[in-house]
Amino acid sequence: MEALIPFTTSGSLVDLVDKKVLVILRDGRKIIGVFRSYDQFANFLMESVVERLYHKMEYADRDIGILLVRGENVVAVGEIDLIAEDLIPLREISVENIMTRITEDNTKRDKDQIIKENVLREYGFVSEGREGDAY
Amino acid sequence: MEQVAAGTISEPLDLVKLSLGERVFIKLRGDRTLTGNLHAYDAHMNLVLSQVEENIHIVDVGEDGTAAPPRIERRGFEMLFIRGDSVILVSPLLE
Amino acid sequence: MLFFSFFKTLTDQVITVELKNDLCITGTLKSVDQFLNIRLDGITVEDPERHPHMMAVKNCFIRGSVVRYVRMGARSVDTTLLEDATRRGEFMVRVLKGLRVD
Repeated sequence: MEALIPFTTSGSLVDLVDKKVLVILRDGRKIIGVFRSYDQFANFLMESVVERLYHKMEYADRDIGILLVRGENVVAVGEIDLIAEDLIPLREISVENIMTRITEDNTKRDKDQIIKENVLREYGFVSEGREGDAY
Repeated sequence: MEQVAAGTISEPLDLVKLSLGERVFIKLRGDRTLTGNLHAYDAHMNLVLSQVEENIHIVDVGEDGTAAPPRIERRGFEMLFIRGDSVILVSPLLE
Repeated sequence: MLFFSFFKTLTDQVITVELKNDLCITGTLKSVDQFLNIRLDGITVEDPERHPHMMAVKNCFIRGSVVRYVRMGARSVDTTLLEDATRRGEFMVRVLKGLRVD
């Protein structure tokens, strides 16, 4: 049984317990917090959680607290290197400012997406919608 | 010959079985097509290919909202696992 | 099970996992499970400027269902063995289903 542990979901998540982690969700959201517990479906519980919003090299944090994540919605869970974290050239700005920038980008992208889909449909490629729908 | 063919292909994946070791064409979600040598597959259509050429069809939209026909971005991989849920079709490639 | 076994043979090798959101993560394969969830150590990301959130991440767990490709070196794979295993796998499925075996 012991030999099988590296080949189970729990085998790969066990060393993340009590570590600061970044979680990427299927809709593209990035969640940062302390990884506390999990099960065989990769459902898990996090503490001291924030949602981090990114726009180019700027970010803003939105407080969440305690979070239970359903495994189905997870893309990846990564352990954050606490030393490397301080060296990253990212600048913190307010949630309001970052939301304005993100919304601007999304509006432009959504408009272009419709045009792209129309062209690609003629070449036999079906549309898949926004980030997250592709999974 | 026809009998042999009828006996060998009794379910869809049998066509894929006949392509083992041969060059195949794959259409994928995300506006992609691949060609490569097929080495493995399973019932989910997970695949392993070697000497792969990937073509991604990309449409650039100009500032004025007009779009040209898709341009193709090519990438090559020596060995590639492809997850079955992205696969739309697998077809033997006649050379 | 074929691909689970296949990935087990790749443990401790450097592979690149390309996700369906176009993020490409290169690292050492540490473990894999039956869902083809993947654990990578010592990771680097292609195009880090586009993915600033990954800059401080050193190792990660990737859910199998979000993977598009896994890229690896041709030398890490025995293609003859893979083709045999694929044919045998097909054979076993047919035996289990009680179908005719060619």
